[in-house]
Amino acid sequence: MSSTANTALALELDGISKAYNGIPAVQNICFKLKKHHVLGLVGENGAGKSTILGVINGVVSPDAGHMRIYGKAATFGHPDEAARHGVATVFQEQGLVPQLPVYENMFLGRENKFSVGGVLRRRSMIAEAQAVLDELQIDNVDPCAVTGDLSFGQRQLVEIAKAFALARVYPVEPIILLDEPTSALSEKEAGKLFDGIQHWRTKASIIIVSHSMADIFRCCDDIVALKDGRGVAQLDAKDTSPDKLHELIVGRKREEEYYKEFRQRKPGERVVLSIQRIRKDPVVSEISFDVREGEIVGFAGVLGAGKAVVASMVAGLTPRDGGEVMIEGKPIASGSSFQAISQGIGYVPAERNLAGIIGAHTLEWNLTLPGLSRVMGRSGMVISARKSAEVTNHWLKRLKVRAPGGGTIARNLSGGNQQKVVFAKWLARGVKVLVLDEPGRGLDVGAKEEIYELIRDIASEGTAVLLISDNLPELIGLSNRILVMRKGQVTAEFQADAGAKPAESAIVKHMI
Amino acid sequence: MSTTTVSTGTSKRLTSRPQALRAYYPILAQFTAVIILIAFFAIQNPLFFSLTNFQNIGMQSSVLLLVALAGTLVIMIGSIDLSVGATVVLATLITAIAVDIYGSAGGIALAVLTGAIVGLVNGGLLVYLKVPSFLATLGMMSVLGGIAGHISGGIAIVYQNWGYTDLVNGSFLMGLPNVATVALLSAVVLAFVSLRTKFGRYLYAIGGGEVVASNSGVPINRFKIWAFVVCGALCGLAGALLAGQVGAGTPAAGSAILLNSIAAIVMGGTALSGGVGGPHRTILGVLLIAILSNGMDVTEVGGFTQEIVKGLVIIIAVALTTDRKKYQFIK
Repeated sequence: MSSTANTALALELDGISKAYNGIPAVQNICFKLKKHHVLGLVGENGAGKSTILGVINGVVSPDAGHMRIYGKAATFGHPDEAARHGVATVFQEQGLVPQLPVYENMFLGRENKFSVGGVLRRRSMIAEAQAVLDELQIDNVDPCAVTGDLSFGQRQLVEIAKAFALARVYPVEPIILLDEPTSALSEKEAGKLFDGIQHWRTKASIIIVSHSMADIFRCCDDIVALKDGRGVAQLDAKDTSPDKLHELIVGRKREEEYYKEFRQRKPGERVVLSIQRIRKDPVVSEISFDVREGEIVGFAGVLGAGKAVVASMVAGLTPRDGGEVMIEGKPIASGSSFQAISQGIGYVPAERNLAGIIGAHTLEWNLTLPGLSRVMGRSGMVISARKSAEVTNHWLKRLKVRAPGGGTIARNLSGGNQQKVVFAKWLARGVKVLVLDEPGRGLDVGAKEEIYELIRDIASEGTAVLLISDNLPELIGLSNRILVMRKGQVTAEFQADAGAKPAESAIVKHMI
Repeated sequence: MSTTTVSTGTSKRLTSRPQALRAYYPILAQFTAVIILIAFFAIQNPLFFSLTNFQNIGMQSSVLLLVALAGTLVIMIGSIDLSVGATVVLATLITAIAVDIYGSAGGIALAVLTGAIVGLVNGGLLVYLKVPSFLATLGMMSVLGGIAGHISGGIAIVYQNWGYTDLVNGSFLMGLPNVATVALLSAVVLAFVSLRTKFGRYLYAIGGGEVVASNSGVPINRFKIWAFVVCGALCGLAGALLAGQVGAGTPAAGSAILLNSIAAIVMGGTALSGGVGGPHRTILGVLLIAILSNGMDVTEVGGFTQEIVKGLVIIIAVALTTDRKKYQFIK
């Protein structure tokens, strides 16, 4: 690791580590991006990709490590400085102001160049924007168009153009970070993007973060594989294959203990939840499946494959465009969470803080919310303080929630304990079907294990469980049966009996 | 109660006692403020600390208490009703006209009905047309003000039914004026309803986390509308009582009621972001505002200065109660 400036390198990370609340997000990450190269950053959810992007574009200050941009040591935590060095990020959630015209977005924050005594020279901004678009051969974007009126793909091109526009303000070659660039693009748009990348790379260095092996192998020279916050390898794309790479980023053996496989039981005969040809245009097309009592049915698929929408339709949160959801033969109206809940469906959302728990309220209030009618006094109108406390204490104890009592304010609990309270909400109410959307997300290893134990308990009591997860080992480990989705359709179904679990690679094949 | 905390790593250490105490800090602060205010005004003018004056405070703050309770229900769900003052004004006029035609009961009933309809429209605008409550009720305030102007021609409507004045100002219970009895009774009922019924719990849930409430099966829209309807009806009742106290329907006074009620709600600890506080907290807020207003009157602080003081009090109270973690951006 010589510290002398190496001009052939655009970017160099050396020993980057970062922890949040004591949980390491990335550890000792080292890699190099050569000038005019395209580097792919791959890894599962939670492998640390976003943290690394954040470090490079200056949003995240790492706890340790160094970064050099064009050979010069960079200080961390200053997005503006990163921008001045040419680093530009194209995010999944786009960073453009929809109300502004394209040319203003392209020079947002860099207007000084066009300012005469505080007044912007509109015409030269437009001309400059057009010049950048021309140079990039982007011919389907009008610099004067209102950004919000453009398609997603067009807006993405604007973001890329914005990165190159930077190079006109600061005399540096841009380093462009693309975060999941194809996740919301059509096949054709994605093709155009990759053609563009081949053209643009002569004037820039590019890092692509992607779930999709296909994307990575389509355009990258180098690949950095991440696993659990560590860099496992930097490879030459020519010397590796998707299979090999996948092994690297998943690479851990499934731990049967962890997922309580020995507790997996054969599902009952009785069908509890029956889904018939539900669809949501254009994200989910005609999906049918049954969940039996005590069965855990898992849904696999990449981000945007439609599995979360299926969960949301079953829970009655998203209105469906067709098809039936039935519980024990009784149909449930579309988009009525109220009816779904009263028929016995419980929903544990992926976004715990936004959708699962009210942070400002006590555990007791949170826990009794879906089943208030069950803690009413004899009149049926007034909440019985005694019953409410009884129910709360029973479930807090049963689920081993670590809290002083039901009066504790929910936001003061750790994520794992909050998640247990979300489960308790439904268990206290009594459910026939539990829909779990990413139940382990954001939890540390120990908390996850407790949640898995809980899921096994719930299934053993005969509840039908629908499990949505981006975490494949979790999905395989917990499910009795796995449905794989791609682009809104079920592409495969796997039996996942204890001791005879399908391999991840077999499932991934149907995901991408 | 005491679950032993043997954490596997990162769960925060929780000890029950300091946390429980901390929950009472705001209420302790309010009591302290009440005592300091009373002491301060009593030193400034000994007449302040007299039974007659405390009865005065009770009389003056009854209508304010009703309106503040009404507004609390809406602020609890994270919305706001700026039309409460205008609703009260319109209700005083309706009462003044109706008591001479339909008698006392008819006057009260019509005023309450008027308020409920206003609330229904406000709630409908929010829920079905997705007009933010701030704007819907701001517009409603102007509309109601105009209607009040048309009805009254800008001057007070004096009614002849003296029996109504006697009813409102008379006393059925322990020498307490009936207007105060009604206000206190409403406070008790609403506090109970908020804390111990489904209606109340749902309002808290909607304000605390609308998505969570919806996911938990709370019919959000229905309860939002109900919050506005009950708020409007209470404002109607407040208007009827105000007309009874004054002996006439008054076309003015709407903006003072609005400002004072919001000040009282926020001082009481119901955050504008919703989900915390509630009617039981507003009672203390009203007491603070009532003592502050009366004290400034008794110590002959000018009207303009009073407005400045109350405005500042609102700003400081909001600054102290805002849950900054809940917002990414303040607009």
